[in-house]
Amino acid sequence: MAATVSKTKNEKKPFHFMKWAKSRKGQQVLICIAFMVIPLLLLFTFTYLPFGEMVKFSFYKMKYSTPVDKRVFVGLKNYIDVFQRDDCFGALKLSLYYMVGAIIQLVLALYLATILSFKVKGGNFFKGLMFFPYLISGIAIGFIFKFFYTRGFVFDTILQWCGFELENLPYWLKDQSINNWSLVATSVWRYFGQNMVLFIGAIMSVDADLYEAAELDGANKFQQFKHIILPSIRTIVTLNVILSITGSLSAFEQPFVITDGANGTGTYFVIMNDIAHTSQKVGLACAMAVVLLLIIFACTILQKLFFKYVFRDAESDDESYKAKKARLAAEKAARRSTKKGVA
Amino acid sequence: MKLKKVLAVTLAAVMTMSMAACGDSTGETSGTNDGVADNSAAAGTEAADAGAADDGAADDGAAEGSLSYADITLGEDYTDLTATITLFNHRTDMDSADYGGKNWESYLADFNAVYPNITVEITTDTNYADDALTHLQSGDYETIMMIPAVDKADLSNYFVSYGDLDTMKEQINYATTWEYGGEVYGVPSTATTQGIVYNKKVFEAAGITELPKTPEEFLAALQAIKDNTDAIPLYTNYAAGWTMGAWDAYIGNNATGDVTYMNQKFAHTKDPFQDYGDGTHAYAVYKILYDAVAQGLIEDDYSTTDWEGCKGMINNGEIGCMVLGSWAYPQMEAGGPNAADIGYMPFPITVNGEQYASAGADYSYGINVNASADEQAAAMVFVKWMTEESGFSYNEDGLPVAKSSTETKLAFEGVTFLEDEPSVAGEEDLLNELNSESELNINAGGNDKIQKIIEHASNGDMTFDEIMAEWNQAWSDAQEVCGVEVTE
Repeated sequence: MAATVSKTKNEKKPFHFMKWAKSRKGQQVLICIAFMVIPLLLLFTFTYLPFGEMVKFSFYKMKYSTPVDKRVFVGLKNYIDVFQRDDCFGALKLSLYYMVGAIIQLVLALYLATILSFKVKGGNFFKGLMFFPYLISGIAIGFIFKFFYTRGFVFDTILQWCGFELENLPYWLKDQSINNWSLVATSVWRYFGQNMVLFIGAIMSVDADLYEAAELDGANKFQQFKHIILPSIRTIVTLNVILSITGSLSAFEQPFVITDGANGTGTYFVIMNDIAHTSQKVGLACAMAVVLLLIIFACTILQKLFFKYVFRDAESDDESYKAKKARLAAEKAARRSTKKGVA
Repeated sequence: MKLKKVLAVTLAAVMTMSMAACGDSTGETSGTNDGVADNSAAAGTEAADAGAADDGAADDGAAEGSLSYADITLGEDYTDLTATITLFNHRTDMDSADYGGKNWESYLADFNAVYPNITVEITTDTNYADDALTHLQSGDYETIMMIPAVDKADLSNYFVSYGDLDTMKEQINYATTWEYGGEVYGVPSTATTQGIVYNKKVFEAAGITELPKTPEEFLAALQAIKDNTDAIPLYTNYAAGWTMGAWDAYIGNNATGDVTYMNQKFAHTKDPFQDYGDGTHAYAVYKILYDAVAQGLIEDDYSTTDWEGCKGMINNGEIGCMVLGSWAYPQMEAGGPNAADIGYMPFPITVNGEQYASAGADYSYGINVNASADEQAAAMVFVKWMTEESGFSYNEDGLPVAKSSTETKLAFEGVTFLEDEPSVAGEEDLLNELNSESELNINAGGNDKIQKIIEHASNGDMTFDEIMAEWNQAWSDAQEVCGVEVTE
């Protein structure tokens, strides 16, 4: 850093650096830099530096305890392994369960948020009730559900009250065809309250006059939701979808605590943890982390594009789609003409 | 505008890189400087112990006056030494005043009666195996640690030598557990054997008069328990995970009767998981589990087993037996009011008409090589006291560690105790390498592979031979990668 600063110094010298530094503009720049340095420094040391190290590790064959000079550089071998191994990429298939869960969770949250943002008896009570699971620590939830799903315990007892026979009930965590759904249900139960509260917050900010106007125009509740609420809260919806999808790619707590990743419930993160800490293949685990990061990047970008397409009607609150299209066309034409002019 | 942004980002990147580079190099140099300073300081004050620890080739002559386990006479040496040392270990249960046996507090009280000026601060951790490695890696760790799974070649970077192997062999059993280059870096806290913890009353009620000695007899006994009692014949403790890894402990001495098998031959064996046809070796061990699951001789829903709950269940006669090391024996006795019902029997494998049990060290005490000379001396005094005077090993139902003692509560009639031979010089890390490469992690936390045996047996989607073939393949691949010489 010192080098770059002195370089600028050297360049600026003919323009009287000291004078510039004392001038109003110079002071502004210097203060900006001074204020930026601390947060950037913290960001570098605690985020980018460790991340850089992790990327570096992913090119080595090493254990945690291997001294620096004994780590073997293996090039891209770890990355090739990630793509060739069944368990690494197979684990990503489990994320599909969690993605389905995420969609159910968002729909449920949006539905309840819409209802609860209007006048409902005991609305705050229900909000609190449904937000509560999010406040419990993930580990505690794991233990709760471990007992919840145990044969003949809570869940089975409740179902027996409803008239089911114990013999006809599946083993919620043992049966490999449903144990992932059991875990996903736990995840939905935990997070939908949080999504709901975010949605309610966004819906609150919608101008109440709009509903009145819509009602006068004869719009029913669903039309109001579709044409007023949804476009108004699209930023929050997008954000929640992105968070949920990335969250489902990196699902960890539920399978780790409830089933220890055994019995076909080992998600990508659980496998990664196992490879890093039990088998001590740190390089491979780091490569897995980098690959997951790239996948999440890709997913995020795809979602952005998708939402841009879905909400194109509502890109702007004031102008209609047609008007906007016309404006964009005009802009494009203008740009083209300036380009031609430059050429 | 865009150009400016790109420029700004590039500048930021350049700044990070230059800073990262600086940080790295300074970190390294200061690290080595510290090491040098430590060495010279230690050499100046007490003796060349730090130097000796760093250099495995240091011989007896150079060790004159240095810290040595054998030379410490308890109650006479170092009684006026004042030091504060820390101990990091896995016995969370011993932290509690409710602990059934003797807890840490009473051990420390006894210790301070002899050494009033040495303060020992004890930290315990439920996730010890992983956290201990993290502590070591950070470079800032406790004075005494239970040595976690480190490579033997790295021992001298972390721990002080207690003395050379020949001297230590006269002092303690299992001296070779943490030996490298002729120096001993770990003294076992206690020693355990491997067998099966069972409920005598349940076995009686099922009409089993003689303890099973072969896999067939064992499975027949489990079947008898299922038919004649309400108890769960074999409780797997599947959900806890680490309890499954315990099965690996039986494939060495118990299943072969060969003390060189585990640390010397196993790594070189071609297809070690093959069927030897005589009910021995790893194949027979894991087959017991597979068959028990396939024949429905385990709990109904293995995915929700409860480790804490199983102690009370076996104590109350709801469980027939569980495959766990002898360390679990006192815990099962303490699990309820029927301590006398709990028994401990050898693993049901007979090799050429003989039954064997492996005796091995539990976690070993290692002393921080970066600690000051006084702290190291105090730590060594504490370790020797724990080993010889405290009665720890006896209290915890272990086998004796101190050479001078033969006291133990365990007795296997007609069973020969064997102690694994250490690996051949130069191959100390071979098993670790193969474990890591093959990801089978035999005796090193490879829980999921055993859990998979249960899953496959229960779902019936893979035969036992197919599983073993898969493991053989993984092992062979790892042998190839590590360049191991393979014998048929």
